[in-house]
Parts: sequence; C-alpha cells; structure tokens
Amino acid sequence: MTHGNGEHTGAHDMIVAEDVRKRFGDFDALRGVSTNVRAGEVVVIVGPSGSGKSTFIRTINRLERHDDGRIVVDGIELTDDIRNIEKIRSEIGMVFQSFNLFPHLSVMENITLAPRNVRRWPKKKAEEVATQLLERVGIPEQANKYPAQLSGGQQQRVAIARALAMQPKIMLFDEPTSALDPEMIKEVLDVMKELANTGMTMIVVTHEIGFAREVADRVLFFDSGELLEDATPDKFFTNPQHERTKLFLSQIL
Amino acid sequence: MSGTERELRESQMVLGLEEEVVGATIPDEGLGLRAAPGKEPQTPAEWAKANLFSGPFNSVVTIVAGFVSAWTLYQLFKYVFISADWTILKVNARSYMTGRWPLEQMWRIWLCIYGIGLLAGIARGVLPLRFAISRRRVAGLVPVLGFALLVELYVVDTLLVHALLAGVVAVIGIGVWIGCTFGSAIKGKALLYAWIAAFPLVILVLRFFGGVSERLWGGFMVNLIVAVVAIVASFPIGVLLALGRRGSLPIIRLFSVNVIEIVRGAPLYTLLIFGVFVLPLMLPPGIGKPPNIILAMIVFTLFSSVYVAEIVRGGLQGVHEGQYEAARALGLPVRKIMRLVILPQALRSTIPAMISHFISLFKDTSLLATIAILELLRQARRASAALGFAGKSLEALLPAALLFWIVAFSMARWSQRLEKRLGVGER
Amino acid sequence: MSAVAPTKPPLWRDVRALRVAGQILFAIAVVLVAREIWLNLAYNLQKIGVELGFGFLDRRAGFGIGEGITYSPNDTYRDALLVGLVNTLRVAAPGLVAASLLGLIVGVGRLSPNWLVRKMAQVYVEALRNTPVLMVIVILYVGVILPLPPIGGGFSIPGLFFLSNRGSAVSTVRPEPAFLPWLGFVLVAGAVAWAVWRWRTQVNERTGEPHHRVLYALPAFFVVAVLGGVVVGGPLRLDIATLAEGGFNYEGGFNLSPEYFAVFFGLVLYTSAFIAEIIRGSIQAVSKGQKEAAEAMGLTPFQQLRFVVLPQAMRIAIPPLNSQYLNLTKNSTLGVIVGFPDLGNVAKTAINQSGGASYQIVLILVGSYLVLSLTISFFMNLINRAVTRKGAR
Repeated sequence: MTHGNGEHTGAHDMIVAEDVRKRFGDFDALRGVSTNVRAGEVVVIVGPSGSGKSTFIRTINRLERHDDGRIVVDGIELTDDIRNIEKIRSEIGMVFQSFNLFPHLSVMENITLAPRNVRRWPKKKAEEVATQLLERVGIPEQANKYPAQLSGGQQQRVAIARALAMQPKIMLFDEPTSALDPEMIKEVLDVMKELANTGMTMIVVTHEIGFAREVADRVLFFDSGELLEDATPDKFFTNPQHERTKLFLSQIL
Repeated sequence: MSGTERELRESQMVLGLEEEVVGATIPDEGLGLRAAPGKEPQTPAEWAKANLFSGPFNSVVTIVAGFVSAWTLYQLFKYVFISADWTILKVNARSYMTGRWPLEQMWRIWLCIYGIGLLAGIARGVLPLRFAISRRRVAGLVPVLGFALLVELYVVDTLLVHALLAGVVAVIGIGVWIGCTFGSAIKGKALLYAWIAAFPLVILVLRFFGGVSERLWGGFMVNLIVAVVAIVASFPIGVLLALGRRGSLPIIRLFSVNVIEIVRGAPLYTLLIFGVFVLPLMLPPGIGKPPNIILAMIVFTLFSSVYVAEIVRGGLQGVHEGQYEAARALGLPVRKIMRLVILPQALRSTIPAMISHFISLFKDTSLLATIAILELLRQARRASAALGFAGKSLEALLPAALLFWIVAFSMARWSQRLEKRLGVGER
Repeated sequence: MSAVAPTKPPLWRDVRALRVAGQILFAIAVVLVAREIWLNLAYNLQKIGVELGFGFLDRRAGFGIGEGITYSPNDTYRDALLVGLVNTLRVAAPGLVAASLLGLIVGVGRLSPNWLVRKMAQVYVEALRNTPVLMVIVILYVGVILPLPPIGGGFSIPGLFFLSNRGSAVSTVRPEPAFLPWLGFVLVAGAVAWAVWRWRTQVNERTGEPHHRVLYALPAFFVVAVLGGVVVGGPLRLDIATLAEGGFNYEGGFNLSPEYFAVFFGLVLYTSAFIAEIIRGSIQAVSKGQKEAAEAMGLTPFQQLRFVVLPQAMRIAIPPLNSQYLNLTKNSTLGVIVGFPDLGNVAKTAINQSGGASYQIVLILVGSYLVLSLTISFFMNLINRAVTRKGAR
C-alpha cells in the first residue's frame, strides 16, 4: 500500500521547520533549526549524542513542544491548537529505538489497536490491513504471538507495521536499529529501504551510514542543537563543508 | 562432612543462604569440587545431624528449643482437648456466622453461598490446571480437612445443616466440572461480568424482597460483606486517585496527594469515629441517619481507596515511559491510552500487592466491633457474656480468631502461588 | 528569541488553555461540594445545640480517665485530650523499641541453621501475621492478663516488684529538685565519653591496638555522672512500690494497668512478626556476591554479619520498617477495645460528653496522628539518609 506522493517531483513541502527552538530548563536542545522536507524525500539525520536530533523529530509529532519558531506539517501548522495536533499526529507514524510494543497485546492486537480506536475501523478491516502489513515487513506468521516471544528485529518490524497501519504520510524513525543485535539490523533496514522505494516521506535518525549512502535523498548533520550541514549523501560524505562535520565523520568512518 | 566444609556451610547458612546451599558445590580441600550432601538423599539421621546437632552450640539450642516447643504443644493440646469447654461454640455457631439473622430467612444465605460456590468452581475449572497437584500438598491438606470435619461434626447438630454443608462442597465440584468441560466456550469477559453482577445480587437477595434489615446482620458474614464491598467500591476510586496524583494537572495532583496522605495518616478507628459521628451530620437534613453498617462501609471504602491508590501508583510507575510515547505517537487520546495500554499493564503488576491489601482489609473488619456492630469478634465477646458462659471468654474468642486466621492464611498462601504463576506466565 | 513565532490558536482549542480550564472547573467543583458539606454540618450541629468552634476545649470535661498523667474530671477537654495523647505515646514509644528488638531476634531466627529454631520462628510469624491485631489484644487481655492471680496473691518480690490481674508495680526512682542541674552533669559526662571514644578510635587507627572503646567510654561516662550526682547532692529518690491500704491497689513505684499490658504486648507481638519478615527479607536480599566476597576475605560469620551483611540489609529494611512503625502507632488506638484510654478512646468519650462536638474533635484526632506520623517518618528519613550517604549509590 502506498501513501503520500509516489514521486519525488512536486514542490510540495511535507514538513517545514522555521527557526525551531526548544529548551529543557537551562539547556538549549534546539537553537533555531530550519529545514524543509518534500513529499517522498528520505532525510537522514546524523550527529553526536545530545545534538538535538531526537528532540527535533519529536517536536514534529508533538512528543515535545517547541518553544519558538514554526513547524508546518502538510500545510497544517503545529501549535497548541488541539485540533491541529490531532490531525498532524494522525498523519505521522513513529518508530522508536526501544520498539515500545505493547507487551500485554498480541502482534495483531498491537497493530490494530490504533486504527480501531482512532479511525474506528471495524475489526475485520483492521485485521486485513494488519495482515497485509505483516506480509510487507516479512513476518505474517507471527500475528498471534506476543512481543516477548519475538526477536528484537521482529519486534521492530512489528513496530513499523503498527505505525504504517494508520496510513501515515510521514514516517519518523528515532535510531530504529540502535537497540538491535548486529545480525538483526539488516532485516529492519531492508524494510525501511522498501518503504523508501515506495515513496514514503521519511526522516531517519540513525548511525547506519550505509543506509544513509544508499537510500537518503539528503543527509542532515546536527551538533549542539544546530543544523550545521544539509547535503546529498555524495557531497556530505566526500566533501563536508563544516569543521565539526568533518570531525564527526572522521570519528565514525 | 569435613570440618572446613561444615564451617563453610554453617557460615553460609547464617548469612541466609541455606536455601541455596542445597545442591550447591562446596570445594573440598584440594580434591576438586564435590556436590553438597543435599543432592544425595539423606537418611533421617544424617538430616538430624546436619540441621539440629551440627555443633555443640547448635545441639544445646536444639535441646532447649525442643523443650520449649514440646511444653507449649503439650499445654495447647491439654487446653484444647481436655480443659476447655467448647459448648459455647456449639451453642453459638450460627450467631458467630450470621449474627441475629432470623432462622426462617436462612435460606437466603444458603442461596448466596451456593451461588458463589458455583461461580468459584466454574472459575477454577476454566483456568488451566497449570501446576499438577503435588502429593505433598494433598498430604498437607489431609490433617486440615480432618480437623475441619471434626469441628463440623461437633458443632453442627441437625442433619439438614450437615446436608447443606455437604451440598456446598458438591456444588463447588459441579462448578469445577462445568468449568473444565465448557471452559473453551466460556469467555473470560462473561465470567468477569458474572462475578461483578454476583455482588449486588447478593445484597439484593439478602436485603430486599422481604429480606432482613441490616440491623439484624451480624457475625462473620458481616466481616466478609464489608470487606468485599469496600474492596470492590474502592478500586475505581483508588485508580482515579492514583491517576490524579501522577497526572500533569497541578490542582488535581494537589487534591489527590492531600486526600491520600491525610486518610493514610489516620488510624482506621479515627476514620470510623468520623464515619459514625461526623458523616451523618454532613448529609443534607432531609436524609435521616443511615445505619452504622452503611456508614462503616463508606469509611472502609474511603480507607481502602487510598491504599489502592498507592498500590496502583506503584504499578503505574512500573510502566515504561515509552509506552505512553508510542501510544501518543499513534494518535490515541489520553483516556484510551490509559484504558487500553497503561492500566492493563500497571494493574497486572499490582496483583500480589492488591491481594495483600485485601487480606489486611479483611482483618481490619474486626474493627467494626469498636462501633457496636455485631461482627465476629463482638459476637464472640457477647457470647461469653451470656448466662452460664461466664469465664469462658477464651473459649469464645479462640474459634473466632481461628476463623480469621484460616481465611487470612489461605489467601496469603494462594497469593504466593499466584505470584509464582504470574512470574512464569507468558505475558 | 526567534523572529518567527508559532501562531496562537483560538482559546477554546488551545491545549494549554483547556488544561487550565479543566483544573479551574475541578477546583470549583471541590469548593462547591465542600461548601455544601459545611452548610449541612453547621445546620445539623446547631439543631443539636452544639457550638461550631473550638471553644469547648476550655470547658470542664466532666469525665474520668482510667490512667495516665495527673488529671481530674474538673480539668478541661483540652487536658483530657492531652492525657489521651500521652497515653498513646506511653504505649507506642516503648512499643516501637520492643517490637523492633523482638522482630530482629525472630527475623534472624528465621535464618538460623537450626531447623527447630527456624520452624518455631516461622510458626510465630505466620500465627501472628494472619490474626487481626484487635483479636491479639483481646485474647491477651482475656486469656493472659485477667487470669493472673488477684492482687495480694500474685507474683511479687516485696519492696521491688508486683504483678497481678490488676497490673504491675515496680519500685523506681523519681527526680528531686536537684535533677535539672544534674542533667547538666550528665551532658558533660556524655561529652567526656564521646571524647574518650574518639581518642580510642584514633589509637586504634594509629597503632592497630584493639580500641576497647566501650570498655573505656562507658566507665568514663558513669564516673563523671556519679560525681555530678554527688556534687548536686542527690538528684533522685527511691519510690518503693507497695500494696495500698485495704489491699486493692498498688501504691508508689511505677504502675502499669492490665489494659496497658494487653495493648502493649498485643502491639509488640503483632508488629514484631511483620518486622521479623522485613529483617529476614532484607538480609536475604543482600546479594549473594557480597556474602561470598565477605567470606573470601576471611571474616568470621559474626564479622561478616556485622560489617557486610547487616549494614546493607539495614538500607533495604528502612522504608518498610517506617511503614510498620507508623502502623504500630496507629494501631495503638485499638486499646479502646479493652478500655485503655488512648487518644482515640478519650476523643470518643469527649464527643459524647460534649453533646456532639464531633467534627472538631475528629479534626484534632486526624491532626494529632498526622503529626505523629510525620515525626516518625522524618526521623526514619534521617536514618535512611545517614545510612545511604555513606556509600553505594
């Protein structure tokens, strides 16, 4: 199932961030971040820990409230307006580092929970969609198992299916493979690649440079709450502009 | 055992490792590792040597302790079987259980007992018998059942009551059979609703349709009913208080915290004084003074709610923050998040603490005696004040104490087994 | 500050405005209900003819109290309640200490290598934990205290100690006018003993010589204290317990009523069972690795307990112990069932006697117990911090 624009053409801005700022007490987590993400784009965000990458994507779906600046998602501005917040959240799916599957529900129940309770789908429809999604992420046979019975890679794939069940236009990934054992990283990245190929708008915070090189349309570098570098993967990895970008790359490559 | 080994084992035991020592390996001097004696079956003599007489100090302790326990047991048996006069129990058995309930209305009570017995049997039958009934458990139950039978034969006079009691056992058995055979057809939710419906039904049967006024209610039945009412009614209130206390709205949090801390800081007796003397004055003038037992139920419910609130709060704290986040990211509204994601996880982890709280609450129902309600303890005291039973106060009280003890102890044991099961379970 | 700011949504859809509105509504609801309750209360009290304020505290109480500090029915309600409070403390304070000691012994006994001792401790704990504390008190009263021999025939060591079904009397010492100055000397004695303690500790650290701190500090304390007593000229006098005229009462000495014994021992036995389980659990919770390490260091079992296991077990035990101490204090009010005049009992009498000054007295009750609870928790918190400050975590 494909949702959102299938092509990378079109000047349609899915996400517009203008001078976004966020403080936690004394600490400036985001210091005026501005960027656009177009429909169908795959944007990868890298940077050292504490640089604000997670905070940034969490402000997009209101898991954190930005203090200043503007965020516009698919034409809707993200403010304290409760109606806007709910609409925006229903267009964005999120995948977390620690999966956050609901342990007391089966895989099928995890995936159908939100569609049935937020979009009010009948059980049958929700389960059909869920089954298709499970096939898409490659684990249709696990439908009736419980999260504790699955491996980390399988759990994360279920988490992706769960987010997709709400038919979002944007998918956010917060270090999706950081908590996985090495042998399971590939299966999750494969699913993400397939997702990208179908034209989903994605923002991925990750350390997986291979994925960035292969799949990203743009790579963003965050450091100390600022967006320092924004380039295509080629330019980013071979010819970074900023000093700190070069420093970071030298440490991880 | 060599000297070094013995010291090693003793010192480990002193530090509380005795449960772990059996089967552990103990190094032998230079000869490599050897399994501890616990792995091989011990003869009684070996066991006695290890546990009772392992050293001079230990042996002295055993002898002294042995004398003390032997003497105590002897005195106990002498009292129970020889010097005590148990007629007071025989005469008062019914009032111990049901107070001044009129004889012609007893059928209502029996009806309720049968209904609950059936439900309980079905519930037990539906649950999978995950753990086989071990021989040791059966062996442990035999003396208990034997004692119960003895008491029953002594106390009960009429054939009718014997038959009714036997009928209760039969009905429970039938329930278990029903549960086992139709287990798959019965949905968990249906059973839960049945239990929830049973509770007002019982009140209905006992009180209404020509039932008995609550001024005549008394005995152990009152302890049970007040405990169950309090626990059931306090549950939703407690959950709300806990959510309020943990919530992000400061005024509601302030309110919840204060209610919880003030009620928790007061002894139950103080709350009962409040219930009996102040609560009626707080009602609008039109309503007359409700009977003491209703006031007591309100107080017990309030009292229980704050403890439930604290237990639920602990459970809520145990749910990972990520669960909230994932649910919010999916777009679920707050009340659905609580109902579908957070509370099911939180409450499951609180089950042992809830049971423990219920046991305490049940024991606390004895305090109804202090506000002139004729529950079990007060019945026992009253029995010994009757003509002809002066000086038999101990014989009057001990069976009451034993009844409380049996219920509390059984629930505690059941809770331990439940904890083990929950730990092993898949969810 | 940003050049670009987020648009402010209309108030009625603004998440933050909604939150504030919700709370205001809640607060209004609470205030309305409270007001309703108060109006009903005031109306009903006036109907009975009871005042609304706390003025009754200064009125003559008009009822007697079985035991406690000096009091007569001519004293005020305030005095009566005070007597009740003191009685509560008389039973709770020593009760906490006794229950802790007994619980410690039984708790360690639960872990004894001797099977018989373990089983006895287990029976003790299981029997008491599952019986309502009220029943324990009543059974003790009816089954143990009252059946004691009547006065005159009971256990006694004349001139020293008496015990019967009317309670106990023990010869004791009472303060003379010189007591206060003598306390000053006692403080000095304490300071001297502390200095000696520190000195011996330093000696031990410097030279490795066993410090024998107790052996040195204790005599130092006593010498100075006794010297002080001589200097002020007799700070204490003997108060011998005897049978009064007519033989129905004890006179002199330190007296305890049968009701007191019932409540005290009932509370102590019951609470000690719970404390025993806490002690046992906390010792077992000290990780196995710690015990093995202590052992590998060559410490004797007693040293292992003293230096490694117990200190760590204490940290684990303090929060649940706090709970039990609070429970014991609150349970002290159950003495009402045998007529012990604690605060709750006196309060109930006062409500009846005053014609129904109920809400005021209940407020005083709730307030008093709150203060007691907070005090106990405060001290336990200090201990907790002292114990956890010194090391791990």
